[in-house]
Amino acid sequence: MGNDTKENSFEEVEKTSNDEDEEYEDFEDDEASREIVVPGEVLTEDTKTFMPGRGTIYNKERTKIISLNIGLKQVKRNYINVIPLRGFYTPRPGDKVIALVIDKNPVKYRCDIGAKDFGTLKPKNTIKRSKMGSYRGGGRGSRDRSQNNEESNTSKFDIGDILIVKILSADRLNQPELTTVGKYLGKRNNGVVISIDPPKIPRIIGRNGSMIKMLNNLTNSNIFVTQNGRIWLKGEDLAHERLLIEAIQKIASEAHTVGLTDRMQEFIINEKKKRGLE
Amino acid sequence: MPLVIKDEYPEKLFREDGKRLDGRDLTELRPIKMEVGVINNADGSAYLEWGNNKIFAAVYGPREVHPKHLAKPDRGILRIFYRMATFSVFDRKRPAPGRREKEISMIVSDCLEPILFLELYPGTSFEVFIEVIDADGGTRCASTTVAALALADAGVPMKSLVSAIAVGKIDGKRVVDLSGIEDKAGEADLPIAITWYNEEISLLQFDGDMDLEEMNDFLNLAEEALKKIHQIQLDSLKSKYIAIQEEYSEEKGGKGD
Amino acid sequence: MMDVRRIISRIEKNYITSNLKKEERIDGRGLWEYRDFTIKADTIASAEGSADVTLGDTRIITGLKYDVGEPFPDLPDEGVATVMAELLPLASPLFERGPPDEQSIELARVVDRGIRHADCIQTQKLCIKEKEAVYILFVDIYVINHGGNLIDAGGVSALTTLLSAHIPQGKIGDNGLEWTGKYFTGKDIVKELPFILTYGKIDDMIFLDPNLPEELIAEGRISISVTEDKITSIQKSGVATFSIDEIKMLCKKSMEIGRKLRKELNLEQYISSV
Repeated sequence: MGNDTKENSFEEVEKTSNDEDEEYEDFEDDEASREIVVPGEVLTEDTKTFMPGRGTIYNKERTKIISLNIGLKQVKRNYINVIPLRGFYTPRPGDKVIALVIDKNPVKYRCDIGAKDFGTLKPKNTIKRSKMGSYRGGGRGSRDRSQNNEESNTSKFDIGDILIVKILSADRLNQPELTTVGKYLGKRNNGVVISIDPPKIPRIIGRNGSMIKMLNNLTNSNIFVTQNGRIWLKGEDLAHERLLIEAIQKIASEAHTVGLTDRMQEFIINEKKKRGLE
Repeated sequence: MPLVIKDEYPEKLFREDGKRLDGRDLTELRPIKMEVGVINNADGSAYLEWGNNKIFAAVYGPREVHPKHLAKPDRGILRIFYRMATFSVFDRKRPAPGRREKEISMIVSDCLEPILFLELYPGTSFEVFIEVIDADGGTRCASTTVAALALADAGVPMKSLVSAIAVGKIDGKRVVDLSGIEDKAGEADLPIAITWYNEEISLLQFDGDMDLEEMNDFLNLAEEALKKIHQIQLDSLKSKYIAIQEEYSEEKGGKGD
Repeated sequence: MMDVRRIISRIEKNYITSNLKKEERIDGRGLWEYRDFTIKADTIASAEGSADVTLGDTRIITGLKYDVGEPFPDLPDEGVATVMAELLPLASPLFERGPPDEQSIELARVVDRGIRHADCIQTQKLCIKEKEAVYILFVDIYVINHGGNLIDAGGVSALTTLLSAHIPQGKIGDNGLEWTGKYFTGKDIVKELPFILTYGKIDDMIFLDPNLPEELIAEGRISISVTEDKITSIQKSGVATFSIDEIKMLCKKSMEIGRKLRKELNLEQYISSV
């Protein structure tokens, strides 16, 4: 499944909706106030000019707008938003996430996707369909039969496998449905996976992928960042991987500051010197 | 039978100089220190030192409900588990949870549930584990305070924080923030919590005796003290982030990325 | 590492294992290196001794309480010390609520044996009146964050707790049991300083002080308690086997590393001065 080719993962982060688009920009916005706010904090009493946006609500009397989260206050047009600095992942269709297969039966896989619900992966979503529907008459003999088999059993993956999946559907009633069919999706056979706080993921990617490009190049690694806070990476050796992991954790803890990309670049260059890495 | 019987019922609760036994004035709070993000396995956590009280709170959620039959199809559930360590009290406590712990768990839960949006997380649970490792009066108030902080640290959307404190009457005088001795030996004890979203009382208990005028005064005293507690909570949530911002804003720049 | 729930992924197993083969560990340590210890003693006002110990990400808070009661019939002039451990659900998504399970019982017992067989506690000093009144010490270990290797951290925590002790000294007076006004301290009670060293085994690689991912992958584990010149207790667990040479090597290593650790941590500094 193309695991060993160098993946330039920032290309992979497709913007699936305007919300996501804005999310990447949120941390990078020059004009962002960078003011830290907490649950219940009054963001404004001017409810004529402003409306409650992301992460905010009116108070009981509708005379103030207050924050629901610990995060950064942001004013965009006349919406007041709070960009959360802490939080858990909620699956959305189109998201790419890293899943761990934790159980399987003959008809489906059960996956931990770091959310309140486990994800379901059905065999039919693990096989690329050929243009000619293999089950629609037209006997092509054994090739069709084996495709049929793969479509109907769960022999492809095992418990303990790490898969990069896309969320097909997610709603209140049903467990999220996953697929491994698509570019860069599928099982990973090497590398390591780390977790950071999901709200910090846009910061690891950076505006137009600037941060992740920089990380990839400076440490000569492959990194795949996903929406549930999990990051797959592979460097040329353990020392590089350790530096990369530390860099990612540093970005996560400083996500709310300015000048981060430059600072991280400096950090990595200095650390490489200190540790005698190239 | 322990050798040294702790003098829990001293004759006087005030010193010669008019101060309380630990040197405080009538409305003075004990030293309070709060910190978030102290248990990195948890989804959110907080630690509080309030006088001699030392309490941890950790949040796990949203996650699956165990046992399954407690899950609600239309909303999430909040479960609070208040426990005390055996060595947290002068007379070693038995390890297993007792009735008092279950009562306090319930009271704290009633207090915190309304500030959450549990309808957004059907079929799941938020579990808050509170562990008192050192106790000295006002543990249910301190626990409510630190649990709210842990939920905020977990990134659970909340309408506001909740702050709690115990006020009371000792030797006929109205005081704020009862210590262990004052709690046991005093005449009245009123633990109270306020939810800042609607500025209304979400936890209220009372043991003792007082008249109407005293009750009004108590409630006013409490409100003042609760604002101070709230400020400490807010500072502890923000301080880590602000410290990091300050560290890097002194460097050249402020130029955005 | 990825947030650890019950199952560790294959690639993580491979990651840890393939690096171990090169004698490298994922947190940069050598095979025989401990993570950093931090120790704070006598922090709990309600307890007669306590310790707050971290070992890497693992954090354990232990407290000491005492009672006076009747001795065991076969040890009429000796006090009793019991060790209990609780794996608090707040410490890890892997810990469940409820009465102590296998893991917490094992932790309590291994720490208990590490202390007991080292003759660490002067139980004869803990006697007030033979056959009638002796001290019963409760050493209660609470795990606050699980970062792997609870046993070694638990051991240091329990030992420091005993050293920090300040227990009212009693005597039988005219009115029965009464307080002399003085205290036992760690100096009176603790005679030896045993340390427990735990090793993990994956395939045929052995390493000291497993962190959490290493511990979850390890097929075998062995804990060896040592004083300055003796081996006082051993516990092997898990399905992996150890060769006789490996065990000899580990005993020797434990004596060396134990001596070094004892010197470095210098736990006597935590003896209370009441």
